[in-house]
Order: sequence, then C-alpha cells, then structure tokens
Amino acid sequence: MAEIVIGVGGLGASNSKGTTIKTYALGSCVAVVLLDPQTRTVGMVHVALPDSSIRPDKVASLPGYFADTGIPALLQEMRRCGTRGPQGLIVKLAGGAQIMDQNNTFNIGKRNALAAKKILWGFGLAPVAEDLGANFSRTVTLSTDTGVMTLSTPGRPAWHL
Amino acid sequence: MAQHNRRNEILAAIGRAPMLSVGAARIIDLAARADHELDDIIDLVKNDAPLTAKLLRIVNSPAYGLLEPATSVERAVSYLGENTVVSIVLEETLGPLLNRPLDGYQSAGGDLWRHDLRVAIAAKEIALLNPRRCQPDTAFTAGLLHDIGKSVLSGFLRDEYHRIIDELMTRAIPDYTAGEREHLGIDHAEVGFTLAENWQLPEIIRMVIRHHHEPALAPEETRALVYTVHLGDILAMMGGYGTGTDNLFYRLDQSYVDWLNFGPGQIGPVMLTVEEKFTETLQVMQLR
Repeated sequence: MAEIVIGVGGLGASNSKGTTIKTYALGSCVAVVLLDPQTRTVGMVHVALPDSSIRPDKVASLPGYFADTGIPALLQEMRRCGTRGPQGLIVKLAGGAQIMDQNNTFNIGKRNALAAKKILWGFGLAPVAEDLGANFSRTVTLSTDTGVMTLSTPGRPAWHL
Repeated sequence: MAQHNRRNEILAAIGRAPMLSVGAARIIDLAARADHELDDIIDLVKNDAPLTAKLLRIVNSPAYGLLEPATSVERAVSYLGENTVVSIVLEETLGPLLNRPLDGYQSAGGDLWRHDLRVAIAAKEIALLNPRRCQPDTAFTAGLLHDIGKSVLSGFLRDEYHRIIDELMTRAIPDYTAGEREHLGIDHAEVGFTLAENWQLPEIIRMVIRHHHEPALAPEETRALVYTVHLGDILAMMGGYGTGTDNLFYRLDQSYVDWLNFGPGQIGPVMLTVEEKFTETLQVMQLR
C-alpha cells in the first residue's frame, strides 16, 4: 500500500488504488481535503497560514503553505489526476486547533479555517464535513479506496470524518 | 496521600537523573549571560577536543560546500553560529533524556527534542523583536531547556494521562499542568526547575523552566524572557510540534503585551520564519 506524506505547506492528489495520503500533527494548520466521486481522485493540502501576502516569495516553492494559493494549487493537482473542475467535488476540513486563549489573539487556526472556506466559496465549494478547532492537534489519513478521512491525536482513539 | 507519595517518588527520580557534563554546564552558563560574545564560545570549544572534532566534521561536510576546508575552531563556530553549537552540545549531553519516547505523554522518541528546538528558534525570533528586553541567544538556550521536566515526569504519567485528558475535555481542570499537579502532586515545570537546580543551571534559565506556563509569577527581572519562551512554546504547539497528550491544553497569558512587542500581525511572519530556520537547523544537526 503506497503512502503519500504531506508536510507543512505540501499538497498531493492520487487516484491510485490502495494509496493513502497522510499529514501529521495539524496544530493551527488546516487540512483541506477534496474528493472527486467521478474519477475517484482524492487530494489534500496542509495549509499553515491564511494569506500569502505576508511572504509572496514563498508561493513559488510552497504554494500549499497559504490558503489563498494552496487551494487553487490543489485543484490544479486534482486536474492532473483527471478531475474536470471544481463542480461536484466533495470538501472536508480538519485542524485549526488553538491554544487556550480567551481573546483569540493567537487564533491562527480559526483564521486558517475561515480563509480556506472563503477561497473554496470562490470556486463554488463548501465543506460537507469538518473537524475544526479545540485544543488538540490532529493527524489525518485519507484513503483513495474509500475516501474516508481518519483522524487521530495522542492518547485518544482514532475517529472518522 | 497517594498524590503526596507520588510527589516524593518523583522528587527521588529527579535525584537519580543523569548529571550534566561539565562542558554542557559551562556552555549553558555562558549562553545565559547577556554580555557574552562569540569569542567566549570559541574559547570554550577549544578546550573540548571531541566537540572541536565534531564541529569541524559538520562544517566540512558537503552540505556546507566550503572551497577550503575549515581547520580552526574560529571558522567552524563562525559558520555554524552560537545557537547551532549550543544545540549540538545539549543534544549530545542530554540526548538520552531529550530523545527518548515520552510514554506518559504518548509521544515518540525525538518529539521532545524537536519541540524544544522549535521553541528555542521561536523564542529567539520574538526576542529579536524585543532586543532591549531580552537577549536573543539566551532566549534560544532557555527555549531548548524549558521542558526538561517532561523527561522525568513522563514515566509517572502512564496511568494518569487518560484521566487528565477526560478532565480537560469536560473542562474540569483549567490546563494540562493543573492535571499533572492534581494527579501527581507536581507539574513538569516544577520537576524541570528542581532538575535545573540539581544541575546548578543559571538562575535566569531556572526561572524560565519554572514559570514558562505562568510567566506572571516569574521574578520581575526575568519576566520578559519568561514571556518570550511562553510565547515561543505556544507558537511551537500551534505549528504542530507539541509533545503528545498535552497537545495545546495550555493557557496564553495575555499580559505578555505589557512585556513584549509582539502584535497579532507578527504571528504569521514569525511562524513562517521559525518553520524555515527549524528545517535548516535539523538538516545541520543530521550532519553529525
């Protein structure tokens, strides 16, 4: 069984049978997952920050680092695997954890999730499922065979989305 | 009573922890001084033949691509920089503590070291924004050592972490350190502080270890540095580099704004810089 590991700011898509796409320890980062039921293609981008305007020079080498450049780049990667366009894609989101911060000063996780949703709306997409926020990091595993997302965090049983 | 017994057991375990090597103690002592210079580090390295050999091996590795091989300590330390030298020394001497799996936190071998390194880099970046408040290289060294208590406490948390997580999920306790105190009678900050006392680490480093989750309780003269590591710790956890079950179950002390210049607009750029420097440092460390 092949495994594609997505690092921070990385992205990938596949429609090969028996493949899993995995990203480790999403703290405030958000995993945007796209599934195409027509071509059985699945893809994931590990977004770390909402907006590329803080470091445009980073976009060429790591477009997935930012929500505004990562989602278009993932859609492009999905197209390489045979997906025709954004219409009909299923979207799931996970991550966006936060520290215990009453004033939300450090709530990059929430901002990542909001930025991801805004960019997705621009393509006519909205998540059908999400597991966002709270105070724990998440490791996400995505199966090309089933499209099921499995989430885990240290010390608790895994769960599905 | 059981909790009291666990505390005594844990204090006894701290007494059995390995001692710090003389070389490591000296370099921490030096790095904690606000007025130290790179020449002081060079002098210290010169007196340590195995460390000299190691630094020369790293700096002469193909990754550095030097046209002429470096043959002097001066050149090696200048290329690597103080922080990398301190990281190499600490990982060498504290490797058995920092690299072992933390079963009580359900984290793998090396996770604590990577978290510490991430905190060190983040704390230095925040200190660089506050040069009058905080010495950046001291922030780096303090960041490397801030969670040393977890290496000892982990063994006592194996049967307790499930209960702590349940209590956090139902908001029965305010944060993870409260869970450690409730179930074991001591938290990782106090364990680390006691270990640091045994090792006779400088006062400023001991205060960071003791108060990094409650910076407002630190003595005033150390508080800016403690807040710096407090924020560095939070940025590391947000970046996905925590140490397991404690996850992001810690509170941000909002009073950092009274001590540091670090606005919301600076969080993203600093996180990105930390990511880049962390990757670079790990690559250098792997050359050893």
